[in-house]
Amino acid sequence: MGRGPPVENGEAVMAEAATERTRPRRRRRGRTPRSLPYVLLAPAGLLMLGFIAYPMFSVLYYSLQDYNVTKPWRNGFAGLENFREIFTDDPFFWETLAFSAKWVFVEVSLQLVFGLALALIINQTFIGRAAARALVFSPWAVSGVLTSTIWILLYNPSTGLSRYLADAGIGEYGTSVLADTGTVFWGAVIAELWRGVPFFAILILADLQSVSKDLYEAASVDGASRVRQFFHITLPHLRDAIVLSTLLRAVWEFNNVDLLYTLTNGGPAGQTTTLPLYVAQTGIHGNEFGYAAALTTVAFVILLFCSILYLRLSKFGGDDK
Amino acid sequence: MRAQRTRGAVVVATGLVLALTVTACGDDGTSSGAEGDGTGEIVFWDNNGGARTDVWNEIIDAFHEEHPDIRVQYVGVPIADVQSKYDAAIQGGADGLPDVGGVSTSYLANLVAQGALDPVDDRLAESGLEDEIIPNMMESVRSTVGDGEEAYSVPTSANQGVIWYRTDLFEEAGLEPPTTWDNFFTAAETLTDRGNNAFGFTLRGGEGSVAQALDMMYAQSGIDSFWDGDETTVNDPANVEALENYAALYNEVTPEADLNSDFTNMVATFTGGTVGMLQHNLGSYTDHTTAFGEGVVDGLPMPTGGEDGHHTFVSNPVDGLGLFSGSDNKEAAWTFIEFALRHEMNSLWNESAGQIPSNTAVLEDPWIAEAPPTRAAVEALNDENTTIVQLPYYLPDWNDITKAGTEPNFQRLLLGEMTAQEFADDLAEQLNEAQAEWLEQR
Repeated sequence: MGRGPPVENGEAVMAEAATERTRPRRRRRGRTPRSLPYVLLAPAGLLMLGFIAYPMFSVLYYSLQDYNVTKPWRNGFAGLENFREIFTDDPFFWETLAFSAKWVFVEVSLQLVFGLALALIINQTFIGRAAARALVFSPWAVSGVLTSTIWILLYNPSTGLSRYLADAGIGEYGTSVLADTGTVFWGAVIAELWRGVPFFAILILADLQSVSKDLYEAASVDGASRVRQFFHITLPHLRDAIVLSTLLRAVWEFNNVDLLYTLTNGGPAGQTTTLPLYVAQTGIHGNEFGYAAALTTVAFVILLFCSILYLRLSKFGGDDK
Repeated sequence: MRAQRTRGAVVVATGLVLALTVTACGDDGTSSGAEGDGTGEIVFWDNNGGARTDVWNEIIDAFHEEHPDIRVQYVGVPIADVQSKYDAAIQGGADGLPDVGGVSTSYLANLVAQGALDPVDDRLAESGLEDEIIPNMMESVRSTVGDGEEAYSVPTSANQGVIWYRTDLFEEAGLEPPTTWDNFFTAAETLTDRGNNAFGFTLRGGEGSVAQALDMMYAQSGIDSFWDGDETTVNDPANVEALENYAALYNEVTPEADLNSDFTNMVATFTGGTVGMLQHNLGSYTDHTTAFGEGVVDGLPMPTGGEDGHHTFVSNPVDGLGLFSGSDNKEAAWTFIEFALRHEMNSLWNESAGQIPSNTAVLEDPWIAEAPPTRAAVEALNDENTTIVQLPYYLPDWNDITKAGTEPNFQRLLLGEMTAQEFADDLAEQLNEAQAEWLEQR
């Protein structure tokens, strides 16, 4: 762009006048308190401080203490002793951590597969689709404790499925999936699956509806099969939704207490005790709040590390979608 | 770009994990409270809400009639949660605690260690109430805490292990009532017909299992003390043998699902199917009469055992009412405690609960004679040959050891993954350590 002719006086005056006219507007903007955004953000900030930062630092503080409300003579600063005990002198920590990992992997994998399948089905057009969608989503509206109660009744030896099977000559009376060490894990997995699958179905269905139909039409014209379309159009499009939902669900499943606590109480013989259940037993029943806080801190660090690693490996939010 | 992505991942992950993981601990909030002017509102926590709500409301209505200037606010707390509710409330401060609360000796020591309760000895003496309470129960309450000289609750009732049995099934099979262990084991075997959904016994393998196992062990072995010096007798050979006998019942004469049974499931199995016997305390009396009506189920004290053929019972927790230190209205709170412990109300409560009353005058009431299980329990307790093994409820770790600490092992024992000797040795080791620590800090 070339330089314009020199500005003459008249133009200069007009320009100055124009500048003057704009000043009050700038001043009005300038009078808007610079602190306004901070004021508006303050309630949220205070809530986060009160409900996230304070509890977190409280747990960190207690993790360095020997703190048992029923043994005040023993309370005091413990340094890293709780952590040393966790890593070197507590086999149950490793057992519960391993079970938590197994629980998370199996639950999230199965929930993803079934959730994806259901989302693909109810994304099709068919008679009764609205009812089918409502049916698929309904378990998500049921609370964890209520879910447990439903499944406890189903597994109950007097009122549940095993009773009716025994009446029909299949299996024995007085048995329960939850009382058999060979079946209790899968009994709990199915109960949690029933509740967790709709979560994936909802999220994936929402993302499926944003895939352009043009892509599928173009792929069809090029002769791509339905399977090929799924792997080359649908799945890449769903990547971020799958990464985020699996991460969220993994954290939730890791921290799952309600269902397992009410369904199996970590049993039989400690076989379904996750790390958070162990924390609850240590803190609530054992009154060892310092040790429970240290276990919580370790769980937090493990989750944080795994989450960062997962997001990095999955290239979450990357633009190579 | 890589750095930005890493930062993004860190921020997202941190936010998610922070928001989803960490929980909070509070600080202690007990205070010394105040006497008040003897009027106004007091809060009462029932430690067996639901099961005892109706009878407490009846008592509270009667109290309001006699003391119109005091209002009692009733809060029913489920029995399974009561200790954790108290612990949480103590950490939250005095405002969250009641003025009066139902307190069992099984967690009394914990509450006292946290400074939550006032000693009530002076009030007991001044009111003359102590003279009305059965001395053994007062002794149980005192021995639960510290040096055994102060009482931190006023006993309302005592409990005792009972073998509940279906009289109709016993008659049909021509069996003798389970007054001896031989009768018990014979009946358990005879009444079992697994193919027809009939079992001789139902066993508590889940929450609360160890307390009942101790009942069964000492009643069979006849060992008369929980301690032999500073070492527990829980792994004495006679107790180990008794435990083997008890564990051998599982999945032979009991349903397999008993492995997970807590109180509710155990009673549901007994009342909902064809099961000959159940071992629990007097507290489940109303459940049985509600399910079967009168006369179908009877209860007997734990069978006689040992060499001398006398009863040996472990001390079941004594239930009582505690006055909380943080109360701002202690005079009114004590007025309520005193009212609930007098003859008429104590009789009303215990008749409803089917338990052993703490007020001596109630023992002469007609309902005691008309409730065979309660009468039998009272008679057995009053028998001079009966031995009571005092369990160490004073240990701060008692509940933890006998619940979360060993219940998974009890399930391992039932599953055959652990022997009775290993189970008893592990339990003994934990108890001996807890006793040594307790003795050291006294």
